[in-house]
Amino acid sequence: MENTKELVLIYRDMNSISSMPANGVNIMLTPQFYTIKREALPVKYAYQARRIAPSLFDGLLEDVQNHKYFVVKEENSWLFIAYDVEKIKIFLEQKGIDISQVSKVYFSEQVVDLFSKPVLLGEKEALVNLNGTMTVLPQVALNTDEESMQISRKFTPKKGIAFEGGGKSFFTTNEAYTLASVFVLFAVIYFVEASRYGGENEAQMQETQVLLENHPSLQSSYARQSIFDKYRIIDEKERKKRDVIKALSHMIFKGSTLTYFLIDDKKFQAQFACKDKSVAKKLQELAKKEKFNISKVPSSNDMKIEGNL
Amino acid sequence: MQLKRYKNELIVGIALLFLVIALIYKQSVVSSQADASVGTSLQELKEVIALKKVWGDKKTTKKVDKLKTIVSSSKVKWSKKSKKLTASFLNLSDQELNRIIVKIMNLAVEIQKLEVKKLGASYQVEFKCKW
Repeated sequence: MENTKELVLIYRDMNSISSMPANGVNIMLTPQFYTIKREALPVKYAYQARRIAPSLFDGLLEDVQNHKYFVVKEENSWLFIAYDVEKIKIFLEQKGIDISQVSKVYFSEQVVDLFSKPVLLGEKEALVNLNGTMTVLPQVALNTDEESMQISRKFTPKKGIAFEGGGKSFFTTNEAYTLASVFVLFAVIYFVEASRYGGENEAQMQETQVLLENHPSLQSSYARQSIFDKYRIIDEKERKKRDVIKALSHMIFKGSTLTYFLIDDKKFQAQFACKDKSVAKKLQELAKKEKFNISKVPSSNDMKIEGNL
Repeated sequence: MQLKRYKNELIVGIALLFLVIALIYKQSVVSSQADASVGTSLQELKEVIALKKVWGDKKTTKKVDKLKTIVSSSKVKWSKKSKKLTASFLNLSDQELNRIIVKIMNLAVEIQKLEVKKLGASYQVEFKCKW
């Protein structure tokens, strides 16, 4: 698919390109845009080789941080190519090449064996295969009778690199994948929450349905509300009355005897006969604890407790 | 070619779309649950059933009648009309008073009046209720 596109050789002294094919181009870089190293390393996979690539170029590159690495397995060694994407992009733009139109980027070193003859780079330089390494030489260094050649689509290697997002992307690939992962993670969380809510909802609806079937008189929300209002008032009032009775029953102990008690819808009152002052005091404390009004019956130890409901 | 140019934006866009769909789905589920709560709250329904079970119990009349049997009939003056009761308990010992009060407390009736008087060593109880 890729090698159906025109392969353009990129070199420093090239002329600007005025028009580009509509379906884009592949480009091949001369050694002017990259640095290579061949190493026989005991690694099996390209990702392992790529991991150690920066250390191989240590001291060889000016600004290591801007470089990326392309790694290819050769017969007995690994070919490491270090390149500065930004510098390449700037150069291409200066030469009128729209980055978004560049499909794949290749390095001449990848097809070193195909360079059987020199390729002239403008008027002064030439790209030659010098002992198995692509090199840019002055044309004066070539033999005068040596023929030159042109590169064609056949020079397109199998593997190449692509500019991220065609050069006009808002995100780098890493950023895009990170953002997408975060979005997908949140989406999954929302789906899980929704299904949990849905499940709870379903269970509640079913339980409600069963209850309504067992209590048909409560089908109507008006009936429910009416019953609820009626019984809630009774429930609150009657619980209060029983709480008062229970609290007063705790005030009956040795030395304290209930002599009178009355409770109705609005109020309650009770009278206790106390054996002595200490019993009366204890009773007072208990009544206070229950927040009841307590008073002493004149000329006796008896205590009177009363309150409203 | 155009799609390839915007591959990163496409990836982020699709993931974002997925997120928005998930959010809308969750909101719709939550709001449908909220709507269901307004109509028929399970909690509210359970509360109504529980209240009705206690205060609308059809066996309350029978339970009230048992109050009469706690002490000997000679000590009881009983007047029950429809769902209203007026009862007097006379010459009650401490234990009898205690039994009657406990029974009254456990009856699901509206206490209109409960009066306890100590007369010498015995107690007299007047009880009015409805249900």
